[in-house]
Amino acid sequence: MSGGGVQPSIATKGLTKRFGKLTAVSELSIEVGPGEVVGFLGPNGAGKTTTIRLLMGFIRPTSGSATVLGGSAARDTAIRRRVGYLPGDFRIDPAMTGNELFSWFGELRQNYNRARIGELVERLHLEPDRAFGKLSKGNRQKIGLVQAFQHDPDVLILDEPTTGLDPLIQREFLDLIREAADRGAAVLFSSHVLPEVERVAMKLAIIREGKLVTVSPVRELLDRARHRLELRFSAPITAELFKGVPGVVEAEVRGDTATIAVDGAAGPAMEAALRGPGLLRVRSAGDDLEDLFISLYDHAPEVT
Amino acid sequence: MLSVLRQVLWRRRISTLWWSLGLVGFAALLALAYPTVRDNSALDKTFAGLPPGVQAALGLDPGSPLTSPVGYLNSQYFANVLPVMLLVFGIGLAAWCISGDEAAGTLELLLSNPVSRIRVAAERAGALVVLLAVLTLVSSAIMALLAPAVGLSKGVSLGQIVAATTATGLLALSFASLAFAVGAASGRRSMAISTASAVALVGFVIEGLAAQVKVLQPIREASPWHWLLGTDPLRNGLTWHAWVLPVIVSLVLFVIGTAVFARRDLS
Repeated sequence: MSGGGVQPSIATKGLTKRFGKLTAVSELSIEVGPGEVVGFLGPNGAGKTTTIRLLMGFIRPTSGSATVLGGSAARDTAIRRRVGYLPGDFRIDPAMTGNELFSWFGELRQNYNRARIGELVERLHLEPDRAFGKLSKGNRQKIGLVQAFQHDPDVLILDEPTTGLDPLIQREFLDLIREAADRGAAVLFSSHVLPEVERVAMKLAIIREGKLVTVSPVRELLDRARHRLELRFSAPITAELFKGVPGVVEAEVRGDTATIAVDGAAGPAMEAALRGPGLLRVRSAGDDLEDLFISLYDHAPEVT
Repeated sequence: MLSVLRQVLWRRRISTLWWSLGLVGFAALLALAYPTVRDNSALDKTFAGLPPGVQAALGLDPGSPLTSPVGYLNSQYFANVLPVMLLVFGIGLAAWCISGDEAAGTLELLLSNPVSRIRVAAERAGALVVLLAVLTLVSSAIMALLAPAVGLSKGVSLGQIVAATTATGLLALSFASLAFAVGAASGRRSMAISTASAVALVGFVIEGLAAQVKVLQPIREASPWHWLLGTDPLRNGLTWHAWVLPVIVSLVLFVIGTAVFARRDLS
């Protein structure tokens, strides 16, 4: 949550959306302040896209509120001039080129910044004069990014923005987000890929089945998250070595190699490993989003 | 100004050109065939032998045999081919305006810009009117150009040809507005197209049958087909029935469809 006094740029309060009997989003409250980057995480069908569409005003809440820059993006078109939006499934008329889209949207937003568009096109290595239908998935996504950033909006709402981007372009995209936040923009973006979110987001909002599981600083979540370690010893060992060690939730031993899953601090597990027959190598499989979800769902109290 | 409208015109420029060529081609074929029909009085006898209901459905009436310019143009052009072509174009475009764009997944992106739903609906309906007007103008122009050369202007003034074409364009606009409204209100393109096509077809059948079936006569008063065919603009020019009623119907449908569209969830 943003600090006292500063009005959040993006805010949902008790936001609920039901489609018939299905509750897609339930009592969701999140805030993104100016200059803040919030990663919006959750498994497929958790309600991320529904929340974003509620914020943009494409659908109306059943109850609660979704506000952008203090107002309703659904009713107040002036607010939308200051918003950059990227849908989860970015598509335009297949015959249209990037440049045609950028100038059309520039006209609609009464803010056609040719120099800025040129800079974005160059940084993302985009071919702006080819028909959308003839571009690869990654290049289509780049067009979506340029139209979201071209008017330097105060609010960026991005649904799965890195889909289809190659690693080099992903890095460029993360820079764009950082620059936007540095000049005071509020950024909310949904993702499935933790390493990216971790590199740019300050906070993570995690939802499951339409409900908020947690909003926490990234570092705090990562410290709590489950991680996997592969340990190789100079001689065969048994799983006994890790039995009863705090934090170790799984231990699989094959000959001289143990694969363990640790929740939270790795210290006790490492001390246990040092008691084994000559620890040779430690390899971390990295933090897996699935594992993060699992550890959160296992331990986090249900937020309702 | 009008960037949403202009984008539709730009996007449809090529297809509108093809539609224009099609209409010109058909009108030219029809006009060039007239001299052959004119001199074949046996055709009149054949058609005169048909039941009156069938004659009415074909756009023929006893006062204007097939070989006369009015009978020829009405039965071969204004009572069927021209309205059907303009209807197909109009309904297709109108269904795209909201529901087609929504189904393609591109409407939400447009609405993420500072444009209201009402503005999008209004400018797209405006584009529909402009493009239908272009096709109507092209059809009028080619027929007005060719008629004198083939003897179709005997007893038919250029103004009457323009009047009949305009009335046909307005008929197409009425049913296109229905497709627009159903699509805007429901977000379902197939429903928009099928509803408008079905109502247009039923109206056409009723108009043909009403000549014989007296019960249907009050019903047809509410049909754009009757406003077009019943007023015979090729003879009488553009009477108020043929333009005021379609304009009112189109406006009412637009307002209803847009009012629902402005409030509903997008799909």
